[in-house]
Amino acid sequence: MPEATENPLVNLSDALAERLRVARPLVAGIAAPGHRTRSGTLWRKDVVVASEQRFPDVGDAKVTLSDGSALAARVAGRDSGTNIVALHLDGNVDPAPLPAGEPRPAGLALALGFDDGGVSVRLGVVHSVGPAWHSRAGGRIDRRITLDIRLTPKEEGGPVLGPAGGLLGISTLGPRGRVLVIPASTVEAVLEPLLAKGRVERGWLGLALQPVLVPEALEGAVGHSRGLMIINVSKDGPAARASLHAGDILVTIAGDSITSPAALAQHLGPEAVGKRVELGLIRADEPLSIGVTIGVQPSR
Amino acid sequence: MSGPAAGIPHRLRVAVLASDAVMQSRLAALVTECGHQLVEAAASPDAVLTDGSADAILPAAAVAVGAVAEEFDGWLPLDASSAQVDAALRAVAAGLNVRATPPRARNFDAMPEEPPVVLTPREIEVLAALGNGLTNKETARLLGISPHTVKFHIESLFRKLGASSRAAAVARGMRQQIVEL
Repeated sequence: MPEATENPLVNLSDALAERLRVARPLVAGIAAPGHRTRSGTLWRKDVVVASEQRFPDVGDAKVTLSDGSALAARVAGRDSGTNIVALHLDGNVDPAPLPAGEPRPAGLALALGFDDGGVSVRLGVVHSVGPAWHSRAGGRIDRRITLDIRLTPKEEGGPVLGPAGGLLGISTLGPRGRVLVIPASTVEAVLEPLLAKGRVERGWLGLALQPVLVPEALEGAVGHSRGLMIINVSKDGPAARASLHAGDILVTIAGDSITSPAALAQHLGPEAVGKRVELGLIRADEPLSIGVTIGVQPSR
Repeated sequence: MSGPAAGIPHRLRVAVLASDAVMQSRLAALVTECGHQLVEAAASPDAVLTDGSADAILPAAAVAVGAVAEEFDGWLPLDASSAQVDAALRAVAAGLNVRATPPRARNFDAMPEEPPVVLTPREIEVLAALGNGLTNKETARLLGISPHTVKFHIESLFRKLGASSRAAAVARGMRQQIVEL
């Protein structure tokens, strides 16, 4: 029983230590052959999730929990789109069920990791909270949460807690070493397909695209000044079957403007697979509309 | 031991510590190629070049080739060039840490939003021709436009990309992001 004190710093430290005590059992160390030990988060009694980018080509691994116990594990599924890898544990453990936390700018955040054979802690604030976003690999992440914390690659993938002890998500290193949080809701959304199929199937056109300016003479007809020029068409992909060509400029999909890759990615989520949509494009300075059936993004 | 304060000699005294004879001679050859003097580990070297597997106590700041571990002041990939080895040895002898840039160090990132600079389809074609080393005349012939128009597009490219040479324009223009969807 901690001594009652009027010292706010001691009170804060005690509160943080209490959050750590409750969340500790979620922290997992993942050792795969040929890799250094990395951090992960015990998500269910037999599932650990971690940052996919830290586990290229990993199949089998050994998972160490914060109490020192070790279990064999294997990768059950991976998704570069949301940067989540799910490992299935050979055995069951009881994770402390943490309530979901609500990220709030300037709210305190604790990032836990597995380091030096035990649990490591970093403290900072939620740096920003933004709307849903799409990763370069096409995955939809429910909210864009950044922290003002620095993390080593070893600590990446551990749980991130809010000030009330709620689980915000798992940590991920983003561009220039910035720490992002993959929200708990996004982890939940991809976990079922990862465990069932080993991957998340998303919509796919089979195109390499580059942002371009719409030729001025056609801006009026198109209604906006930017589009995506087709640089390459995947052989036998949905776009190839619909006779799209390199040089065509995509300007709309299903009636919505395509002014950036992110705008197009919004139409290519898992729910889009198999749907037929109209693509508006410019070919040889003429507007044109072509129907295409959205396919499934091939595995890497 | 000659610390950083003593100044870094032009020609370093370097010891090689490796786990086997093949690696030992490979690393020794690198040291010689860099113009440094090979010395025994016991002879107070300025720096050590190692494959990271030798279990010896390091007599000086060390560069590990093909190994990644915190205890070394420098890490280089196995295929590091002699110029990189030379630079790394000098750096660790001066008390600095050296890390080679990993080949795939691009972290998880967002799909590009609208980029600040967007080129027209014609500008992209002209840029590709510049990248292939074509002259204005050759580019004009290839694209079926006049050399005057090519010049117009190149000026626009220089302006948009903030480039003052063809090479700079190509380098910056090619960084335009391509996404696969």
